[in-house]
Formats: sequence, C-alpha cells, structure tokens
Amino acid sequence: MPDTVIGFVLLGIVMLVVLGIVFAIASRGGPATAAAKPPRGVHMPGPSFLPVVMSVAAALLGAGLAFRGQDQLANPFLAIPGLLVLVAGVVAWVRAANHEWRDTEHGSHDDGAAH
Amino acid sequence: MTSRTMQAHPAGEHEAAAVIQHGQSGMPTALVGMLLFIASEVMFFAGLFATYFNARASVGAGQWGPPEGAHELDLPLAAVLTAILVASSFTMQFGVWAIRRGDTGKLKLWTGITLALGALFLAGQLYDYSELGFGISDGVFGTTFYTLTGFHGAHVFGGTVGLTIVLARAMRGQFSARNHVAVEAVSMYWHFVDVVWIGVFSTIYLLR
Amino acid sequence: MATTTLEPRAGTYRRSWVIEWLTTVDHKKIGILYIVNSFLFFFAAGILALVIRTELAVPGLQIVDQATYNQAFTMHGTIMLFLFIIPALSGFGNYIVPLMLGAPDMAFPRINALSFWLLPLGGLLIFSGYLFGGAAAEGWTGYAPLTGQEYGTTPGTDLWIIGLTLVGTASILGAVNFIATIFKMRAPGMTLFRMPIFVWTVLVTAVLILLATPVLAAGLIALFIDRNYGGSFFDPTVGGNPILWQHIFWFFGHPEVYIVILPAMGVVSEILPVFSRKPLFGYKAFVFATIAIGLLSFSVWAHHMFTTGEVFLPFFAFMTALIAVPTGVKMFNWLATLWRGKLMLATPMLFALGFVSMFLIGGLSGVMLSSPPIDFHVQDTYFVVAHLHYVFFGGSVFGVFAATYYWFPKMTGRKLNEPLGKVHFWIHFIGFNLAFFPMHQLGLDGMPRRISDYSPDAGWTLLNFVSTIGAFMVAVSIIPFLINVIATFINGEPAGDDPWEGNTLEWATTSPPPPYNFDRLPPIHSERPLFFLTHGHGHAAERPADLEETEEEDVEHRGGLV
Repeated sequence: MPDTVIGFVLLGIVMLVVLGIVFAIASRGGPATAAAKPPRGVHMPGPSFLPVVMSVAAALLGAGLAFRGQDQLANPFLAIPGLLVLVAGVVAWVRAANHEWRDTEHGSHDDGAAH
Repeated sequence: MTSRTMQAHPAGEHEAAAVIQHGQSGMPTALVGMLLFIASEVMFFAGLFATYFNARASVGAGQWGPPEGAHELDLPLAAVLTAILVASSFTMQFGVWAIRRGDTGKLKLWTGITLALGALFLAGQLYDYSELGFGISDGVFGTTFYTLTGFHGAHVFGGTVGLTIVLARAMRGQFSARNHVAVEAVSMYWHFVDVVWIGVFSTIYLLR
Repeated sequence: MATTTLEPRAGTYRRSWVIEWLTTVDHKKIGILYIVNSFLFFFAAGILALVIRTELAVPGLQIVDQATYNQAFTMHGTIMLFLFIIPALSGFGNYIVPLMLGAPDMAFPRINALSFWLLPLGGLLIFSGYLFGGAAAEGWTGYAPLTGQEYGTTPGTDLWIIGLTLVGTASILGAVNFIATIFKMRAPGMTLFRMPIFVWTVLVTAVLILLATPVLAAGLIALFIDRNYGGSFFDPTVGGNPILWQHIFWFFGHPEVYIVILPAMGVVSEILPVFSRKPLFGYKAFVFATIAIGLLSFSVWAHHMFTTGEVFLPFFAFMTALIAVPTGVKMFNWLATLWRGKLMLATPMLFALGFVSMFLIGGLSGVMLSSPPIDFHVQDTYFVVAHLHYVFFGGSVFGVFAATYYWFPKMTGRKLNEPLGKVHFWIHFIGFNLAFFPMHQLGLDGMPRRISDYSPDAGWTLLNFVSTIGAFMVAVSIIPFLINVIATFINGEPAGDDPWEGNTLEWATTSPPPPYNFDRLPPIHSERPLFFLTHGHGHAAERPADLEETEEEDVEHRGGLV
C-alpha cells in the first residue's frame, strides 16, 4: 500500500534525524575519568551497541513480515535490511565474545562465553 | 569461615569473560544458559505438537493425512533422514569426547562430519518438500505438517550455524580439554534438535 | 560507608550519557531503563483506560466509535500486561536480584540489555497499528476466528502478533538470565534457603516464563500463518479448530497471570518484615507455597474456557480451587508477619498493606469464578473485569508502586517525599476501589465485558458513572507521584545506604551502588544477613568497617569479591 510506504519513509526520516541529533550530542566527549575496576576474579563484558542494533533489526524484520503485500513472504524493503543487520549482529556478537574470552588473563578452565 | 558453595580453587585463578565469579562449581554458566534455552524450545515445540494433535483429533484419525490428489508421505525418505540425523548426533558426541581428551584434530573431523550430515538432512528435507503435492495452505494437515517440520528444519539450520562456528574456532585452535564450553553447548543443542526430530518423525510418519 | 576503589583508565573519554545508556550492560542501568520504559507504557495504557471509562460513564456513544473502542480495550490490556507490569517487575528484579545475591551483575549482561531493548521496539510495533489503519482490536486474548483472516483485517493485528513475539522473546531471554544468575552467582554462604523471598518469586516467575511463553509464541506464529499464509489452524471451514487457540493461549495465559503476581508478592514479602520490625513469618512455607503456585499454574488454564462446553469441568475447577491453598498460606503468613509487629506506616508499607487487602478481594472473587456454576453466569461479564483488576491492579500494580517507593532511595540515593507519597496512596486506593468494586455488581447484573455502549434501561448507568469517577481519581493520583519523583530527582533528601533498616544485602552497599555492586559483603548465615550484621548474633557487630578481621579470612575463600 502506498500509504504504508510513505508512512515508513517518514518514520525512517524522523528516526534518522533523531539519531543524528543523538550522535551530535554523543560525540561530545570529555577528559578521562576514573573508572571502577571489577574485583579480582570477576570479568564482565563492556558496553555494547549490539543489543540496540539487534533489537532494531529484529523489529525491521518483524515489520517486514507484518507489512507484506499479497503473495509475498515478507516486505523485502524491511525484511532484507533487518535480516542482514541481524546476521551481521550475530557475527559481531560471537566475535566480541571470542575477543573477550581471549583477553581474559591466562584463559581459564571454564570458558564462559561472554554474553 | 568456609562456605559450602566454594570450590577449592586457590585465590588468583581467573575465570573467562562475562561475569564468571571465582569459585563457581558445577555446570559452567554458559551451559546452564543453553540448557534453559533448550527447555524453552521444548515448550515451543510442545505448542506446535499440540496443534498437530488437536487438529488430528478434530478431523478424525481415519481421515488424517495429505489432501486428495497429493502424494502420500514419503516414509522411506523420512526414515533415511532420521538415520542421518541420529548418526549426526553420534558424530557430534564423538567430537565432544575428542575435545574432552584434548584431541582438536578429531574434534574438527567429527564436527565437520556432523555439519555435513546436518546439511544433508536439510537438503533431504527440502527435496521432500518439493516432492509433496500439497502446501501449507492446503487444509489443516498441510498447515500443521509444514509448520512442525518447517520450524524443526529452521532449528536444524540454526544448529548448523552453531556447528560452523565451532568448526571455525576449532580450526583456529581455540579449544582445549579445559576450555571448550561452546562445543558442549552446541552439542547439547544438536542432540535436542535430533530428539525433536525423532518426535516429529514418530508422530507424523509412524503414528499418522 | 562502603567505598569503591577507583583507578583512572588512561585514554578513556567520558562518554555522553546518551551513549552510556544506549550501550549499557550494567544490570542497574538496565533495571532503571525497564522501569522508566514501563511507566511510559503505563501512562499510555492508562489514557486508553480513561477513554474506555469516559465512553462507558453514560449510555450512548459519545467520544469513540465501536471500532476505536475495540482497539482501546485491546491495546489497554496488551500494553498493561506485557509492556507495563511484567517489565516493571522485571526491572526491579534486574536491579535488585544481583544485589540481594551479592553478585556483581546478571549472568549474561549483554543478553540482559538485548532483553530490554526488544521491549520498546516491540511496543512500538504494537502501537504502530494506530498509524496503519487501526491497531489490534480483538481483545488482549486475540481469540480466533475474530483474529483470523476473514474478520481481523486490520494490519494492526499482524503488528500485534509480531510485536508480542518480540516481547515474548525478550521475556524468555530474561528468564534464562535470571535462572542462571540465581543458580550460579550467589555470594558465598548464600544457600538457596537463605535467599530473600523476592529472589525466590523471581526464580519461580522465570521458570514460568521459560516454560509458558514459548507456547504463546507457537500460538502467535500459528495465528500469523493462518492470517497470512493460508493456514488452517483455527479456521473451522478448512478443518481447523477455534477452540485450539483458546487452549494454546490460556495454557500460556494462566501461568502469565502468576508471572504478573508472584514478583509483586515477593516485593510485599520484603517490605512487610522491614516495616513491621519482625522477621517474615514462615520463610520455608513461603518458598514451598511459591513453588506450588508455579507448578499448579500449569494445570488450571481451562478455567478460562468453562463456557466452551469442551472442557472437563471437575478437574479444572478442582485444580483452580486448589491453587487458592498456597496463596492462602502466603496471605496468612503475611498477616502473621504483621501481627504484634512495630508497624511503620511509611508509603512502601501502605502500598504493601494495600496489596494484601486488595489481592485478598481479588483472590476471593477468583475462587468464586473457579466454580463452574457461578462462572457460567458471570463469564465475560464485568465480574471478571472486577476480579482481574483487583488482582492485577490491586495486586501487581500496588506491588510495583510499593517497590518504587521502597527501592527508589537505593537506586537514586534520595528518599521520595513521604507526605506526597501518602497523598498518592490514599487517592489511588480510594479511586481504585471506587472504580472497580462496582464492577462486581455490574457483572452480577449481567453487563457483558468489551461492550462500547449499553442501554439506559439496563440499570447499569449509576455504577458505571461511579466507576468512571474512580478511574479519574486514580489518574489524578499519579500527579503527586510524578511531582514527587521529579522533585526528588532535582532536590531530594539524601538517603544513605540503608534508610529503611532493611534485612537484605542490597542495603549493605551505597545508594546507588558502585558499578560492581559490592566492595565488601557481610557474612551470610541466614536469610537476613544485614539484620544479623547490624544486630549481631547476640554481640553488637557493626558495619563492614569493623569486620576487617573476618573479612581477611573471607578473602581467601571468596577470592575476589573484595
């Protein structure tokens, strides 16, 4: 339906504008500050964009399924980007887990995958 | 003061990555996570099986089957697929035993074979789909058949992705006798996928 | 006061707070995200409730047409349950459970973050139906064949299905996280039977989520296939069975309502002892009652389907009545906790007491509904609406507010204003009863649920009008709450580590806690480790600073939590 497409394009533009503003604010950094260290023996994964990115990708894929046209499996404009980002996200997640595993001191006898 | 939840690790040993605390005993946390995830997947398939059984009871066991004009279900092919998947569970377990002994070479071999068998299963499943004369929208048998086998196939595909990751990491030498939780986790998942198939096969092809 | 060792990390830029909150994997921040997000959805769904009540105040369609009304009650129910109550309680669980266990974080912090972010996205999808021709309008229970291809033609229903699938996935991942955390990350000395009751209720809730939500997912997928790919699951004209949807939905739906109430019961079980200055009565009974409720909750689903004629009534009636027993045990234990206690009627305690009394009423109407002869008369009437609001709202929502007032000091370092809190509570409590108690009578008088209008000759007008007044009172009571929260953020009175003299470990660290939660843990020998720390086993033990000696021993064994 043309209206749907227009609606989504507008939504997309609004989101890009919002994200642009967010980035503008976010890129203002600051001097190094003290950061708390974990107690010895405890290792925790650092901050990550992946959860947000994967959620957005999953929502895109889902929207693609919901907005499918007749005789389509899903709306390709939504589902394909969503699927691609999702797959890329899984790859990035597994690689980040690998890095963290390798960065921990001495390795371990209990390879807890970094989640 | 001692604590019963502590293991006898000397202080200073470090655990890997995300939030493993010193002194954990028992199953590694990641494996606990995989087990719980599998439990939820079991319930998901339980829901799908419920739809199959309910539809079958509604239609009546006598009339339950592919719609008029379509082929009968290909039991021999399904039996072969079952054999393939069961065999792949064995090969997966051989791989796990190998890495528990520290044998990375054998791990790679058995994981590769498991992966090949899994891919073969998927190919066979797709071939079966192409030969059947009915689709998901051809009545309630078609709907339940494709939903149940389709989601199982999707889970097999997910398993092959996991196997690929394990194989890649094994080829980079990341696993050892003391460090191979990912292998254990993927193998657990793979066995689950196999058990579900045995359920699917028995229900759809044997019980009818 | 607990302190944190801070070491400058060379070359680290201070990140903007937006990036910090977008990328956080810290359970405390994620907990706050959950809670804030849920309150936003609470206000949205609350506005829909006001639309419903305004329309029903007097006969005649004044402000919406039927289609819009249907969307309103569908969205109201869906949002309140899936996007407010469960995430809010989950948010408190996220923040508090690791602290109560003496753990540095949840077992899988990044998956924890993923579980959160799926919520606003899922909610966005569900709400976006309004933008695209109409939101879902078939009731939060989405019965087939109304939701099927033939009748449910708005794209909003597909969005509802997809959005709920995302939210359900988030829940399941969260459940995995909670169970793994509780089993693997307790501090030394904390055996399962020394965990706070809140942790127990979160554990059982997580098990329920783990086992029940996937069944909903299966049902939602089946419905999607029916609507979009020509499936025949629920369409009787091609061999499907609409009652199948009800079975699948309620097999999830009943554990769902226990998912909604159990954590709130846990919150109340934490608050009552602290504000009665007495230990919780019957700790072990609470644990077993919680487990029993969890187990039994899977055996009662068809009491939502008594009137279909396809249900074996005696079994489900019996099991439903049976589940009242462990619930009653909890009720008596709460009362026994209060009995002869030195009651401190601060706002958290008021909401907790409100919970106990309101949930009692809701539970009693539930036991009435468990009887098929009664149910046959009141099924799908306002009697059920009264019951569900007494347990969801009088129960869980009161629990959410109790938790908010109780743990706000821990999360922000500032205490909410007491007089404003009391104003909130009393207007809320009176408004709530005014809104929902008349509905019992309306249901007995035969008013069906989910109707947008009724005849002036039915005799329902007065009670409906009273109910609407109550609903607006509840809405008004949110104003002092919001003022309180905002003002306290800006200029609130500092709270200190332990403003309520609590019993559990979250009060043994700063308010708010440092990033890794604890510098030193008190020794854990009971389910009230902090109580024994402050009051001693007969000798006056002081705060962590005075326990250097025992701390040294613990370093060896705990190996890293210091």
